[in-house]
Amino acid sequence: MIISRNWLQKYISLPQSVDELTRILTFSGIEVEAVQELPALPDSIVTARIVSAEHIEGSDHLKVCQVDTGNGASPVQVVCGAPNCVSGMIGVLALPGTILGEIQIKQARLRGVESSGMLCSERELSISEDHAGIISLPEGTPIGQNVNELFGLPDVVFELEITPNRPDLLGYFGIARDLSASLGVQTTFPKLVQIPGGEDSTMGLNLFLEDKELCPRYTARLMRNVKVGQSPQWMKNALLRSGLRPINNVVDITNYVMLETGHPLHAFDYDKLKKRIDTDAYPAVVIRRAADNEQIEALDGGSYKLRARDLVIADGADPSAIAGVIGGKNSAISDETTRIVLESAAFAPGSVRKTSYDHKISTDSAYRFERHLTPEMAAHVSARATDLLRELAGAEPIGELMDAYPAHVEPLFIGIRPQRFSSLIGFTLSEEEIKGYLQKLGCRFVQYGDWQAIAVADQSEIVCYHAEQEKQGVTEFDTDIDCQHALWFSIPPWRVDLQREVDLIEELARLAGYDKVPSRTTTQVIMDSHAHSIRGRVLEHFLQFGFYEVLNYSFIDPEQMLALGFASEELESSILRLKNPQSSNQAAMRVSLVPQLLDNLRYNLNHGERDIRLMELAKVYHKNDSGHVEPYRLSAVLTGKETYSHWSAKSDKTGFWHLKGIVEDLFAHLDIIPEALFPAEEPYLVKSESLSWKVNGRSLASIGILHPAKADSFGIDVATLKQDIWVVDIDLDMLIDITRRPVMRFQELPRFPMVERDLSLQVPSGVDWTSLKASILEVDTNLITDVEVFDEYRGKQISEGYRSISMHIFAQDREKTLTDERVEQLIESVVKMLDTRWQIKMR
Amino acid sequence: MQEQLNELIGQAKAAIAACSSANDILNARSAYLGKKSVLNGLFARLRELPQEERPAFGQQINDTRRQFEDMLSSREKELREAAWEKQHSTGGRDISMPGFRRERGSLHPLTIVSHQIHEVFLRMGFEIAEGPDIEDDFHNFDALNTPQDHPSRNLADTFYLENGMLLRTQTSTVQVRTMEMYKPPIRIISPGRCYRNDKPDPSHSPVFHQVEALVVDKGISMTDLNDTLNTFAKIMFGANIRSRIRPHFFPFTEPSAEMDISCVSCGGKGCRVCKHSGWLEMGGAGMVDPAVFSILGIDPEVYSGFAFGLGIERIAMLKYNIPDMRILFENDVRMLRQFRRESI
Repeated sequence: MIISRNWLQKYISLPQSVDELTRILTFSGIEVEAVQELPALPDSIVTARIVSAEHIEGSDHLKVCQVDTGNGASPVQVVCGAPNCVSGMIGVLALPGTILGEIQIKQARLRGVESSGMLCSERELSISEDHAGIISLPEGTPIGQNVNELFGLPDVVFELEITPNRPDLLGYFGIARDLSASLGVQTTFPKLVQIPGGEDSTMGLNLFLEDKELCPRYTARLMRNVKVGQSPQWMKNALLRSGLRPINNVVDITNYVMLETGHPLHAFDYDKLKKRIDTDAYPAVVIRRAADNEQIEALDGGSYKLRARDLVIADGADPSAIAGVIGGKNSAISDETTRIVLESAAFAPGSVRKTSYDHKISTDSAYRFERHLTPEMAAHVSARATDLLRELAGAEPIGELMDAYPAHVEPLFIGIRPQRFSSLIGFTLSEEEIKGYLQKLGCRFVQYGDWQAIAVADQSEIVCYHAEQEKQGVTEFDTDIDCQHALWFSIPPWRVDLQREVDLIEELARLAGYDKVPSRTTTQVIMDSHAHSIRGRVLEHFLQFGFYEVLNYSFIDPEQMLALGFASEELESSILRLKNPQSSNQAAMRVSLVPQLLDNLRYNLNHGERDIRLMELAKVYHKNDSGHVEPYRLSAVLTGKETYSHWSAKSDKTGFWHLKGIVEDLFAHLDIIPEALFPAEEPYLVKSESLSWKVNGRSLASIGILHPAKADSFGIDVATLKQDIWVVDIDLDMLIDITRRPVMRFQELPRFPMVERDLSLQVPSGVDWTSLKASILEVDTNLITDVEVFDEYRGKQISEGYRSISMHIFAQDREKTLTDERVEQLIESVVKMLDTRWQIKMR
Repeated sequence: MQEQLNELIGQAKAAIAACSSANDILNARSAYLGKKSVLNGLFARLRELPQEERPAFGQQINDTRRQFEDMLSSREKELREAAWEKQHSTGGRDISMPGFRRERGSLHPLTIVSHQIHEVFLRMGFEIAEGPDIEDDFHNFDALNTPQDHPSRNLADTFYLENGMLLRTQTSTVQVRTMEMYKPPIRIISPGRCYRNDKPDPSHSPVFHQVEALVVDKGISMTDLNDTLNTFAKIMFGANIRSRIRPHFFPFTEPSAEMDISCVSCGGKGCRVCKHSGWLEMGGAGMVDPAVFSILGIDPEVYSGFAFGLGIERIAMLKYNIPDMRILFENDVRMLRQFRRESI
């Protein structure tokens, strides 16, 4: 629904600010989808009379006009190309200097003729899309006037999203009523002037309502002396603002009243309606199902083949309209029309929806009827349209309103408990507030009474047990009867969506404002979810690689740390000793998880296990400057066969690359790439068989072979075991820290292909892969996306002190397809860089 | 000519069906569709026919050509499929032999139980809060309303470090730390290691694990304690498990209670596990003592709360039928291996 603020303002006084009105509408449940401000037109645009219009020689359409801008000024000469430009008409003139959208009107010369302004079309003034000719104003329009008042400017147009449960909001009255409740102001709706119809024996109608199910009510009003013509400008403005095209005053009035009330109407040309049988005195209007394959030429120009489930409004012979959907051509209002039948009816929503869907006809009328309009409003709507037709088209109503309304819709009464409102919504409304809101919506407070779970149609069914008892002089009540105090309201017929107490509660909550709903708990984030999740994922990772988790006491024997090779002074400065240990081998808090893991390893070796992988994720404890810290670590020991195996292949003993792979997989799993690699510094590891990853100079993780001598001091004889013992140690708190990162952002997918080139290089010892890869990536950080090693070779064809490394280089341009030349250039730069930097040659 | 064509069709059918390799197909194609094929020859001889028969017979030749094309390509496809199947035939593969496997490890049963407990409480909207193992007197005793001369402060009960700090005897210390840092509402569990100077025996360990729950808000009552405990017991041990609380004493709760659940082994009828009482003790609980709130600057007239503590070792032993607490700290792979199924 598109509404104009100027029009809405006729019924209710609105806040000045557009933003404020937008907010109020949206938060009362009427979502504003778009707002368009229509500014006032400048004073240099005025009404003007074309005094003369003459063809310009040599042009087939241009005319030179003398235009009177009133106020006694001498006429202005303007060149105009519009076909409807004729002498005597009143139009709208934009004087030189006027800015219209992107163009500025200038003094100009066309075909050698001076032109001092522009006669405007509606489109040029952004009033409508009409550009067929210049604006032609009715005789009597004062000239030389600013046109803002004439065109209802300035204005603001709101595009509203009306939810399907609220057909009443598909009209200005409904929106005004709703706003009156949320703003707490009164509405003023047009008064109906009910004048009894005149008499005319030549006019009459035989009305047959044959399908009461699909048409619960049909009213028809006969009128004569109708003068079909243009609608007044204010009505045209109004229709245009709400997105409808003005046609003629009769059709415009039915549309206008539809926009006011939300209830569509239709007007038939009385003289085109046929009788049922020749001997009938009057033509007929029959509300019936269509015959299969019955045809109708509709107002949209389409021809529709109807089916028996479609409801039509027919005359004595043929369908004149598809009920609630669209009118027929045969009975359409034309310039010759003088007598009309005004229809105001109600149709079954499901039937209208089906018909409109089946025939693919979507009209403003079908849109409203399929959302359920109450039959109760039909007569009122008809009366409003009758008033306007009388006023604006000179129509004279004949006779009374013909009203086929076989089963009246009973009014509904609903009881609402204030207490129930509070318990469901969370804040309290006083009884006065409840009445205030609901009465502005058109509900009427009728009485207090005991609450009932269902709505009643008869007010006498509302009772108040205690009051009744008192009336009868009973003072001692039956306490078993638990009456709940309720306020009873009658529901206005147009609010078909209000059926239960909870529907009223929703209305109240929405009008009072959802922002008043209190929150009880303030959410606070106490948990370090990231740390929790990383610890879980690290455990899971090692689990997949066959590690068993162990848990040891938090105490160790400091001697064990010395046995691992830690210097005693260093140890003393960090270890926390217990005052009352249970034994000397539990004398201190552990500073490392490794000693106990080695104890666990020995224990399990002694019990006959050979392939063992153990891990512990726990805190260690250190003294520091501020007292002590308790960082988490993950340590692991392993020995024996690789866990990934198959009977078809010989099992590997776990080696350096396996172990490095496990930790690299973990890093990949957590999406980090610690690139700085060093031999590990742990005194218990064999330097040449160890590795440590550093981040900001601190060791994040290390792996390596346990020195046989150290193993020996833990009672493990590596020589007899004939297996290496590997140790992994990870600073888990550091891992948690470096994986705390901002939310990832999706990147546009590359639209151009990736190019791959292979390179084999002869690399001198001393240049490692990490540096090699980094330096290649640096050659062009935009184009080179990845470098991947796929082979290393030392041997015959390679000189001593060198190795051959083969790699894939991947390149991609985000902006365009990489040409072969560009890729060759790129590879050349890489080769040159490698040569200059390290004297590395291609193989 | 008609006869010749019919004969040709018969011949081609047989020849194409007899093709057994890609090469055969190639030969057949040139024999029946090639430039020198009989079919092509027939086409050249069309003009020998009377004018009126020509179009029909021409059409027939074209149809035949298409028919040969179809026959050749479908035979070709058959041969390709047959070759593929032959290549992929297993030669009697024993599908019961194991595939490429990576042997999985397992989590420690105490970790498994802890994770399960975390899940239960996270589901109930709790957050996990952690605190240090090494504590001071204030957080472990004073703030929890424990009198200066309380026996639990003894060296015989509590481990002290040489620097005067102590090892927390319960995770209630995290309650204190959380209430120091956050204003209510608070809804946390705090899992972690605890220490008591007990010699290891079947039901004691100097290092053990606890999880503590704390809820502080307006309008929290013992009902909330009951509900939380009940939900926990049912999710953790089974829908038919009941829970109860009975009076007890703790310095930091008032009223205080002990929590029991119906015996997981006999269902409450009485057995060896529950010492024929039908109930198993789960831990201590109660409403947070107003004195604790006051120490931490929370108005006990505005807020109330409950807390309870559960022993992880006890839960694991009950759940997995482990008879001796010391088994949990031996870290025998043969024990750990049994928990692979639970580590999923």
